[in-house]
Amino acid sequence: MTDDGAPLQLLDRGYRAIMRQVVETATAPHFTALAAELAIPVEQARQLSHELVSITPGWMAPETDLFASFPPFNLQPTQYRVSVDGVGGWYAQCGLEATAVRWLFPGKTIRVEAPCLCCGEVMVVEMHDEEIVATEPAEIVGYTSDVIGGSAESRPFR
Amino acid sequence: MNLFRSEAHARRWDGFNPKMAHAIKPIAEWADTFANPFFRERGRADYISWTRSDDGVAAFRALRSSLPLPADD
Repeated sequence: MTDDGAPLQLLDRGYRAIMRQVVETATAPHFTALAAELAIPVEQARQLSHELVSITPGWMAPETDLFASFPPFNLQPTQYRVSVDGVGGWYAQCGLEATAVRWLFPGKTIRVEAPCLCCGEVMVVEMHDEEIVATEPAEIVGYTSDVIGGSAESRPFR
Repeated sequence: MNLFRSEAHARRWDGFNPKMAHAIKPIAEWADTFANPFFRERGRADYISWTRSDDGVAAFRALRSSLPLPADD
């Protein structure tokens, strides 16, 4: 049991179930579906969902119980479009987490396409396991305007 | 936390914070940061437990020490 929340084994099972669905379908389960999969009461699954996004750290859509972000993915579209071996549908939580998507798809080629927030021109990054296969343009940089891992309220805005 | 076509583009962004100018890094450097085990291990069945293990705590500590902080005034 954790200090105030769900038992650690349940956190593991919940995290695994959510991540598996996001990896396989680019969608996150509703807490009622999570309850059924984990064979736990619906209210417990709702609370577990919130606890897991606070840990990962992601976030729910404001004032809802609906996953918005489950890193490295975003369930709402962002400018970071992700395809896996040519199949699209995923979005990265941010430009930096986009580089971590590859760890969930071993042996596959990850392609991230995004417009530059300054000029709108498209950038492309391709990764395959350990290797950054291609960047277009070659001068792409990452930048955070605030501390990574800062306050929960600022997560969507860094 | 965004990508830009170049450092000049990042500096021209409306959200650019001069106190975090040193956080502009080539994407390969950020990819190295996001290759920390904290990110690599997300696919394991016991990920949350792992983050609280000695290995997980060490990985998180190493990650935090590698992240840029705002410059002093």
